[in-house]
Amino acid sequence: MRDRTTNGHAIRSGDAIRSADATRSGDAEPVGAPLTCRDVSISYGAHTVLKGVSLEIHAGRWTAVVGPNGSGKSSLLRALAGLAAPRLGTISLRGRPLPAWPRRERARQLAWLAQTSAATELTAAEVVRLGRFAHGGWLTHRQSDDDAAIQRAMRATGSLAWAERRVTKLSGGERQRVYLARVLAVEAPVLLLDEPTTYLDPPHQEDVARLLREQAHGCGVCVVSAIHDLSLALAADRLIVLGQQRVIGHGSVAEALAGDWLSAAFRTRVDIVEHGGAHLWRPALDPSAYD
Amino acid sequence: MSVPRPEVAELIAVRGGSAASARFRLWLTAWIAVTLLLTGGSLIVGTSSIETSLGWLLSPDAQSSVVLWQIRLPRTVGAWFAGALLGLAGGIAQGVFRNPLAEPYLLGTASGAALGVTLSLLAADTAIGGLAWAGQLGLTGAACVGACAAILLTIMLSRGVLETAGLLLSGIVIAFLMSALTSLLLLTRPEMWRVMQVFLLGSTGFIGWSSALLLGIVFLVCLVPSTLFARGLDALTLGDDTAQSLGLSLPWLRLTLLGVVTLATAAAVGQIGIVGFVGLVAPHLVRQTLKVNHRQLLIGAPLCGGALLQGADLLSRWIIRPAELPVGAVTACIGGVYLVVLLWRRNRDA
Repeated sequence: MRDRTTNGHAIRSGDAIRSADATRSGDAEPVGAPLTCRDVSISYGAHTVLKGVSLEIHAGRWTAVVGPNGSGKSSLLRALAGLAAPRLGTISLRGRPLPAWPRRERARQLAWLAQTSAATELTAAEVVRLGRFAHGGWLTHRQSDDDAAIQRAMRATGSLAWAERRVTKLSGGERQRVYLARVLAVEAPVLLLDEPTTYLDPPHQEDVARLLREQAHGCGVCVVSAIHDLSLALAADRLIVLGQQRVIGHGSVAEALAGDWLSAAFRTRVDIVEHGGAHLWRPALDPSAYD
Repeated sequence: MSVPRPEVAELIAVRGGSAASARFRLWLTAWIAVTLLLTGGSLIVGTSSIETSLGWLLSPDAQSSVVLWQIRLPRTVGAWFAGALLGLAGGIAQGVFRNPLAEPYLLGTASGAALGVTLSLLAADTAIGGLAWAGQLGLTGAACVGACAAILLTIMLSRGVLETAGLLLSGIVIAFLMSALTSLLLLTRPEMWRVMQVFLLGSTGFIGWSSALLLGIVFLVCLVPSTLFARGLDALTLGDDTAQSLGLSLPWLRLTLLGVVTLATAAAVGQIGIVGFVGLVAPHLVRQTLKVNHRQLLIGAPLCGGALLQGADLLSRWIIRPAELPVGAVTACIGGVYLVVLLWRRNRDA
């Protein structure tokens, strides 16, 4: 655990989140593939975004979805979240096709973070509380369970300090932590996040990445996130590489690098260097200099 | 007083903060006090030549007590409920369409309800006012049918409720059509023209005890689903996709809440005619003075709306006493100025 004194509210890893694991519903299998796609095609009208997608996404792993702009990262995540039905094929959550799940039950299994969230007049705590929506009915909910989950989620994301402030009054980075807390408060076994690091500065990106890894490794959650930044994506456990309307590859980071999937996806040479155990993307501004 | 332990302080923060809920309670108390003051004022201001003083209010003679209990009290109570219904409808409409300028009028509901009322009065060949219970219910029913027709037409024209701008535009078009139809219908009956003109401009003068009671019942019927579904409106502020991912059924949520907006608007229009801007101003007043979630907004907006309409009603009887102005004209003046100030401030700040 590292103390980030510059912003005072570092996203804490370790204890705070692990304690969440104890209360998480015991029926989430620590290994296995909670999310599966069979021959999925996604299209908008006549425009095909992705076709023939078959995937098994593992629990307890942080999977990053990468690919060029317009390669269908967001579309895939939306389909996985059940927000848009694929044109062909089936997406199953724990062996059961998504449309067959009752709405609320599914919402307790899948938590989704949009790439951009609308500005809301609610306070941070109220936004996070919405993550508990599917855990109660319109009339009944267990206040103490909700409070505990909200508290854990806000503590884990370091957003407790501004719990009572309106989200519109927060900075971009602070706001993103609140939205992340909202997703964590669901305490779902599957987290789907569309570009959770986009508007954040590097230290905050790092915090989010650490949090996602903690969720996967510490709590056995199946974490899937679209990530634009290649160096950050390569810090994930597994990659789904999209390009040319299909899945170029799905596997561990080592497999992706061995197969040079990134170059195939971006249709240009993508130079990845290894430094201190981390894989980093090196922009090839002057390609001849490296050869 | 001891400082709460850190965990307890966290829990309070997570629950929305103790200061915030205290502020909300204070705010509610203030508006209830304003309402009581306005009710008292409404009892002593009137068009009749009876002496209007506090002493008279405390010991009225037989004739004055009829004026007091059969005319002024039901009128001010009815005005409060009608204003509360409009405030509630406005608060819900603004949440459902995520548009701070949405209100019952912009959806065509008010004009549709007025058309329904006009049609039923023409068919029954009676004047408005002095209707018995069955008549009042029939009138509200007709207003409801008109409002439903208007909102269905609006939704059909905009091809769904998902796109806000398109929906509001179609609402305005339908409102124009409905008002034009109402005017055309009235042209065929010149003898009804004058009284209907007063009604269409908005007047609390038609309210008796049966109207007030009807408005009160409809208000309670509308308030229950509104506060239950308020969390759904909170979720909607995060965007459709996020709301859906939280486990909400958006079509059902929208349908139910639009149903409430329709019923509330129809009941108000059926009793007091077209009174504009209350539905717009009331939720704005709440938001400008408090930071609220939708549950608090849907409790606060009716309180504000009720007091606003009572105040406007009082003004309409006081400005040119012993004659009175149509209350709709008063709210339009106040609301119009408010809207201008709002837009001017927004431009200045931008």
